[in-house]
Amino acid sequence: MGINLGKGERINLSKEAPSLKKVGVGLGWDTNQTDTGYDFDLDASVFMLGAAGKIPSEKYFVFYNNLNSPDGSVKHTGDNLTGQGDGDDETVLVELSKVDGAINELVFVVTIHEAESRRQNFGQVRNAFIRLYDQETGKEVAKYELDEDFSRETALEFGRLYKKDGQWRFQAVGQGFNTGLQGFVEKYYAG
Amino acid sequence: MAISLSKGQKVDLTKTNPGLKKIVVGLGWDTNKYDGGNDFDLDASAFLLGETSKVQSDKDFIFYNNATGGEGSVVHTGDNRTGAGDGDDEQINIDLSKVPAAIQKIDFTITIHDAAARKQNFGQVSNAYVRVFSEDSGAELIRYDLGEDFSVETAIVVAELYRHGAEWKFNAVGSGFQGGLAALCANFGLDVG
Repeated sequence: MGINLGKGERINLSKEAPSLKKVGVGLGWDTNQTDTGYDFDLDASVFMLGAAGKIPSEKYFVFYNNLNSPDGSVKHTGDNLTGQGDGDDETVLVELSKVDGAINELVFVVTIHEAESRRQNFGQVRNAFIRLYDQETGKEVAKYELDEDFSRETALEFGRLYKKDGQWRFQAVGQGFNTGLQGFVEKYYAG
Repeated sequence: MAISLSKGQKVDLTKTNPGLKKIVVGLGWDTNKYDGGNDFDLDASAFLLGETSKVQSDKDFIFYNNATGGEGSVVHTGDNRTGAGDGDDEQINIDLSKVPAAIQKIDFTITIHDAAARKQNFGQVSNAYVRVFSEDSGAELIRYDLGEDFSVETAIVVAELYRHGAEWKFNAVGSGFQGGLAALCANFGLDVG
């Protein structure tokens, strides 16, 4: 059983889980039940930020069309198109020792695919969470359940892994935005 | 001035209206008029749900044949053509202060009676809405117009009132189902044999 985090809380992974090298990041959610209309397609993505809070190149934006980061540290295991089923809906694998030295922060976001045309938002999504576990033991290190009551947001920053004083830490963020994936790209990509 | 919601939107009800206890949830609709064929019979219902979004017994399904529930806190009044209720086709009165603690959510639905046999669906229904107003003052607080999102559906979860901490909030749900009332009952854990 890992540590349950509240919004904004941080943990120092180097202290709480010193043996942790290969981190599994599981993201999950449930959507409102309906048997008509569009499927909900939620996408998890990672922005690997360097200096000035920007990605060094577009390849450091890891998502369903770019599943591996150039340094080999981050691997997105693929798109889940419906969000059906229990447990993690999408998973990102992070090997901390391989993260390029110029990268200080990994931001985990979830966006709703075609939210505008499908008229979907996080008001129709429940039980969202992000959890960190040790890939080698399967043991959960930390979990953040986004218990905030989201409404018209179409994008959410779930959490971030960041390096401080040479040690990896995790923060539960839970910040909603009225944007899509493109909005995050504009925010984190200097171009 | 009431807040108009879009699908999925959630708003505070009691926090923005301190002291609010007695509310009326009014549901309305228009059906396509044509000669011949069957009448449209649309029914509004409420499902009183626990934490897991399921009813605890069949008494928690409030409709025309079981008009009162939640220890008297929820009352389906049926047609109301007078006063503050002008325009609503059906209304459900709720005393929020008396809703038992085990009831965490109240979902409001509209279903088409005998839809399959009469070959009817929500494509033939227009101007459907749900609104919440204060029973004491008559002031409309929240309104959600369903627009023209629905076609083949025969049942719709229109909205949800739910507890959030010590307050009540309102969610414009707008989830459609093709299986009529039976599909809704299954969704909410009600066994209709």
